[in-house]
Amino acid sequence: MAVSSENPNIVEVEQLSKRYGRVLALDEVSLEVDRGETYAILGPNGSGKTTLIHVLCTIHRADSGTARISGYEVHRQPRQARKQIGVVFQEPSLDTRLTVQENLDFHGRIYGVPGRVRRARIAELLELVELGAWRDHLVRALSKGMQRRLEIARALVHDASLLILDEPTVGLDAQTRARMWEHLRELKRLREITVLVTTHYIEEVEGCDRVCILDHGKVLTVGAPAELKARHGRMTVRVLPRDEDAAALVKSAYEGVEQVGEDLVVPVADEAATEKMLAEHGARFRAFAVQRPSLEDVFLDLTGRGLRDQEAGSRDRLLAAPRSGGEPIR
Amino acid sequence: MRTLLGAIWAIWLREVKRSIRDRGQLVGGVSRPLLWVVILGIGLNPYFRGEIYGEVQFVVPYTYLQFIFPAVIALNMLYTSVQSAVTVIWDREFGFLREILISPVPRWAVLLGKVLGGASVAMFHGLLVLSLAFFANVSLSPGRVLTGLAYMALLAFGLTSLGIVIANRLKTFESFGVFSNAVILPLYFTSASIFPIDPALTRAQTRVVFPEWLITLVEINPMTYAVDKLRGVFIGFHQFDPRMGPLVMGIMAVVFFTIAMIDFRKA
Repeated sequence: MAVSSENPNIVEVEQLSKRYGRVLALDEVSLEVDRGETYAILGPNGSGKTTLIHVLCTIHRADSGTARISGYEVHRQPRQARKQIGVVFQEPSLDTRLTVQENLDFHGRIYGVPGRVRRARIAELLELVELGAWRDHLVRALSKGMQRRLEIARALVHDASLLILDEPTVGLDAQTRARMWEHLRELKRLREITVLVTTHYIEEVEGCDRVCILDHGKVLTVGAPAELKARHGRMTVRVLPRDEDAAALVKSAYEGVEQVGEDLVVPVADEAATEKMLAEHGARFRAFAVQRPSLEDVFLDLTGRGLRDQEAGSRDRLLAAPRSGGEPIR
Repeated sequence: MRTLLGAIWAIWLREVKRSIRDRGQLVGGVSRPLLWVVILGIGLNPYFRGEIYGEVQFVVPYTYLQFIFPAVIALNMLYTSVQSAVTVIWDREFGFLREILISPVPRWAVLLGKVLGGASVAMFHGLLVLSLAFFANVSLSPGRVLTGLAYMALLAFGLTSLGIVIANRLKTFESFGVFSNAVILPLYFTSASIFPIDPALTRAQTRVVFPEWLITLVEINPMTYAVDKLRGVFIGFHQFDPRMGPLVMGIMAVVFFTIAMIDFRKA
């Protein structure tokens, strides 16, 4: 379609607002996702990530503003917009009483994928997510991680150009999480897709092309991880001075030095400055460590609090308890 | 168009597969008619044509087994149709509804697939009863069976839609189980299915023989006319105007499907 090929942005969100009762879940959110990139939306629980995703997949209507997928307005042309996207929701949405194959086949049929293409693609996707051997098993026999992988495969049975994943790694162990990201990278190599992912795990965002930081329904900043770190984080060198004199010297030579226990934390501009420092004062230190800014620092800088500080309030913990099988969430 | 039919087919197939795999449903579908036909039907058979003190009480020229047989078909379908709507709650509870809601399939097609799926399973359970015809001394001709199947299909469609209307209003499986039973059994018992209302009596006379409230219940119950039609087809006996059956079943199908459609649009 002419609209979609001329339009470079696969997702265009303008001034989107959504209110639930007294809570403003989305506060004039605007963002654009380019074709082919991996775009992460990072924010703590309750920041509006899921609401945004729900508006994009046409489950909820925004109160104001527009959202377009490949040029199709999600309110006005929901069916065209839906064809463009494959979605993996935060909560599982498989039919556990059907087999792996049947779940994929059902998806293919309701999206109108012709028989031959459907069969070929299902086989290919099952190979990719390493579920080929489980083809004829009922989904309820699969582990959580396997079900997640199956959902990713399912989202791509039709010709989705945009893969939306809402907190795809929540509830999975570290190893399974890493594997899931491997699968996603592999997928991106094989097919021309754009990936839009939400998460509150900072380490997962590092590999993405761009990150949008969302908090209280507002977009705080957007950029490549390195760019954000350069803009909002600061590089520091943590040193352990050999003696009092050395400490005094460092404190006088640099600005903004902080004392942390016996260590000194010295802000530096870049790599060159670090090397210069090491060359000049290297002999006076017993330990020397470069600390590059993390996205956690970026978030801290933007909001004045850590991403984990309020990750799960007591109410969230209570609500999440049944999902984790009654285990308290720390 | 092909896509649309494919989607409806997929939804139909899913409903049917799920119910085939549900052993409980199948056991119920087999045991219910056996219970009604074999135990109740045979047990009550001698009491039906009451020539008590040499006086014939009822003018129904059939054995109780024959009389109750078409009603058991209706009962088995009533149960299965309404219960099949439990997938609506299941989908909502376990998230599968989202998979359907974000698909490009229009809502009416989703609903149609679901209703046809539930109705097919109900038809199957109706056929299970029909296969007992020999034991109930009901003789079937191909013509009767075909006409009967057509009415059964119409009834199943309406009842499945009714089940979905109920399911849309309930939040949990438990309440659906209780509620559906609270709907199914009264509908069945007041449909003149297990006791006849003598067609030879006038309206005024019936109200003398039976308490008035009961007659009113029977007359306003749409199932009465569905059962009556099936009885007309299978054993050639009507208690009411034979034209009422198809009319009422048709109205049920249209009305309940429309209500379910309105609910689905909102979802």
